[in-house]
Amino acid sequence: MNFERRIGDRNVLDKFTEDFCGIVERYAKYIIVLGFVAISTGRSRSTEDIDMILEKIPKDKFIELHNSLDKAGFECMQSSKAEDVFSYLNHGDNVRYTRKENKMFPPEMDIHFVKDELDELQLRERQKIEASGLDVWFSSVEFNIAFKEELLKSDKDMEDATHLRKMFYKGLSEEKINKIKAMIEMLRRKR
Amino acid sequence: MRDKTHMEQVERWAEFIRNKPQKEWRPKFNEFIDAQFEIAKRFRENMEKTEEGREALKKVIEWRKTR
Repeated sequence: MNFERRIGDRNVLDKFTEDFCGIVERYAKYIIVLGFVAISTGRSRSTEDIDMILEKIPKDKFIELHNSLDKAGFECMQSSKAEDVFSYLNHGDNVRYTRKENKMFPPEMDIHFVKDELDELQLRERQKIEASGLDVWFSSVEFNIAFKEELLKSDKDMEDATHLRKMFYKGLSEEKINKIKAMIEMLRRKR
Repeated sequence: MRDKTHMEQVERWAEFIRNKPQKEWRPKFNEFIDAQFEIAKRFRENMEKTEEGREALKKVIEWRKTR
């Protein structure tokens, strides 16, 4: 595979993700998951939102993070008040941030706090994916394939999983994918 | 359910880019990704030109906040 990529090669989604993650990185561990993992490695479809899982951080630290995002030109769609946004996250809800200049139009970062052992494990095993050319943390390719094939299963998800399997066919661990699928069955499908 | 030719195209594309330098496909790929946002921006700017459009945009934003 050929991974060379320069700054000028970024598209709208790449720039949005790198800018946003560059700020989050200073306050908390995070991972980018699902669709954008496939898209950033060349899957030819677009998306409006990028999904992020964020480690649980205390309220005061989150307020600092929110204020830094605000300063950098991002706004939360659910509320401009950091306390409210923290409250949503702390109750297990998702929140979404967009660029202020886009007036709440996409792209948007869809965030939730770590919810269970699966999220914790994804965060612990996070990786940078060379093929994306991006300096952001992703959940592993195996995790993304497992979620798409075992839980999500729409046409779009199955195509994303196929794309990832084709792109990363050399280094994939089927054993790991199957273990993750078993965890999904236990932790998510029986809810 | 999409027909199988769709999945076959996904597979062909992945195999193609896996074996090519990024400079051969990345610029067109980026144009494709960016186009969605350029079209959305143009649409929004056109809507903002009229009172009726601005009202419609407000509703879209309210819907987007709560979905």
